Amino acid sequence: MTKSLLIIEDNAQNFYMMRFLLEKNGFTVIGAENGREGIEKALESNPKAILLDIQLPEMDGYAVARELKKHPELDRVPIIAVTSYAMVGDREKIMEAGATGYIEKPINPDTFVAEILQYLQDQEKPS
Amino acid sequence: MPTRNPWSFHGYFFLMTVVFILVPAFLPALSATAGEAVVRVGVYENSPKVFTSEQGEPAGIFIDIIRQIAELEGWTLEYVHGTWTEGLDRLAKGEIDLMPDVAYTAAREKTYAYHQVPVLSDWFQVYARKGSGIKSIVDLDGKRILVLDRSVQQSSFGQMVQGFGINSILTGLPDYKAIFEKIAAGEADAAITNRFYGMTHAAKYGLEDTAIIFNPTKLFFAAPLQHNGGPLLTAIDTRLDQFKRDSQSIYYASLARWTSEKVNFSLPAWVRITGLIIGVALIMSLLGSLVLKRQVNLRTRELQDINREMEGRIEQRTAELAVAMQKAQAADHLKSAFLASMSHELRTPLNSIIGFTGILLQGLAGPLNEEQKKQLLMVQNSSRHLLALINDVLDISKIEADQLSLSFSTFELRPSIEKTVKLVAPLAYKKGLELVLEIGPDVAAVTTDQRRLEQVILNLLNNAVKFTEKGRVSLACRTEKNGYLLSVSDTGIGIRAEEIPGLFQPFHQIDTGLSRKHEGTGLGLSICKKLVGMMRGTIEVQSQWREGSIFTVWFPENGGESS
Repeated sequence: MTKSLLIIEDNAQNFYMMRFLLEKNGFTVIGAENGREGIEKALESNPKAILLDIQLPEMDGYAVARELKKHPELDRVPIIAVTSYAMVGDREKIMEAGATGYIEKPINPDTFVAEILQYLQDQEKPS
Repeated sequence: MPTRNPWSFHGYFFLMTVVFILVPAFLPALSATAGEAVVRVGVYENSPKVFTSEQGEPAGIFIDIIRQIAELEGWTLEYVHGTWTEGLDRLAKGEIDLMPDVAYTAAREKTYAYHQVPVLSDWFQVYARKGSGIKSIVDLDGKRILVLDRSVQQSSFGQMVQGFGINSILTGLPDYKAIFEKIAAGEADAAITNRFYGMTHAAKYGLEDTAIIFNPTKLFFAAPLQHNGGPLLTAIDTRLDQFKRDSQSIYYASLARWTSEKVNFSLPAWVRITGLIIGVALIMSLLGSLVLKRQVNLRTRELQDINREMEGRIEQRTAELAVAMQKAQAADHLKSAFLASMSHELRTPLNSIIGFTGILLQGLAGPLNEEQKKQLLMVQNSSRHLLALINDVLDISKIEADQLSLSFSTFELRPSIEKTVKLVAPLAYKKGLELVLEIGPDVAAVTTDQRRLEQVILNLLNNAVKFTEKGRVSLACRTEKNGYLLSVSDTGIGIRAEEIPGLFQPFHQIDTGLSRKHEGTGLGLSICKKLVGMMRGTIEVQSQWREGSIFTVWFPENGGESS
């Protein structure tokens, strides 16, 4: 079974980097450039996890997270926020919106994949 | 309402005047009500001792006193008006019970009964027209002298002038008023009256007192002899004795009233003039108050106009301030947004640089030769340094703009310190430095901002490693005064004494040729000091040039407490 991941990210370079790292580690990556597209692809492809940027055009990451949480079929899909937002309260705000975890940008290529694997492993444990 | 003030004053004044006029008029009516025994009292004209007032009521010192006694004893008084002689006749016949103001004589004691305590002491005095030239008793020779008929003075004066060998024509009249009128009209030369009557009325008739004074007497209420006035007279004695011992009693009040204040009543013209003056004054002040009211109204309107204008201005200023406030808040908001945006916009490209450099260095995109690897490491170092700079500038901007707030939580201090030390360990080992960690056994939980505390510790450790070429860097932590004392010491280049005061100022880095090779923004220690301050802690430094430095941080165990 392929480990497919959905990346919702509007910055092409960041998307390329994350996809490169993940594909090198055996994941299949599905990309979405905005929130709407991300929600659609999440529902049709049923990914193992969703990597979500916060600063997206039109619909921001908080709204996307809240929308994704409305679908019970995505209940066990971790939403991992990937963002450079580091103001006080940002972490709390995105967790409140429905994110499972949080990876701060800039991405450290040495640890990025390991962090993703950790979230997937946590999710597989019976809660 | 300021316009009403003048009115209320005049109203009060007017009311008081009415009260003063009415009260004395009602007083006599009050006392004649209570009691069982009826006591008939003779009244005649001998002001101020006993007389009939303008209202037709009995008045005078004797009347005041008997009235008070009657009230205390429960008697009802009945007044029988007449002349002095009529009164004496009625008393002798038992038609009245008391006759006021009767001088004691041995002869009278055979006809009338007296009480013991005298009401008044009196004497007789000769009065004459002003400028009559009557000074002494010898001047009375050949003069027409009027005297009260059947009075004590009639007989005693007769005896006195006989003794001096003076021949004068002595005529008796029934009352003092008639006597003074005749003297004033020039129908007689001199009058003999008691001192009370003379003192009170002489001036009114244009008369003056002479030096001829004789026959001091004691004055009493007299009762009929056959009537057995015993209880009546005993009561009068008892009360008189009480009155005379009490300076506030009716006795002294009545004396004061009739011998001094009486003057006002004896000069009705004066009262009329006073009344007229008061009336005119009232009208004047009424008119004055109308004028005043007009002026007050005028001024009130002016003040109201000014007030409205002021209110208008205040409203305008308030609105302007609100706009300025909104602008300031908008600017503040803009600043926050700018900081967040900076944070994002600067980090996003850096994210790419650091990320792809890392990927290349991992060899994930293909094998690298040594030169390529070396240069990519330089790119990585520079981009990491740039990230540190951006982070520091953002931190200090947020602190300066009061945008930075701490997020307090309770956590175990030991693992937090150990985690931070591990971050600098690679560089320390690379430089061949000894890294020593001493955490006291009682170091446990702390409530503060974990991320910011770790930032401070990391900053101090990084500095220590950066500025030390050989020897060691040590971190020690122990409990101290409801908090923790954490010190980072090194055996590095140290800090010159003159550099220490500016050490925690922003953009400060020791300006020596040596420091050039040490990367940094010069913001680190300034940020540390601000953060420690926000945690309600302190930071200090001790250093010896070329020997090393010790940075000591104290922070409370519970830094979130009421701050």
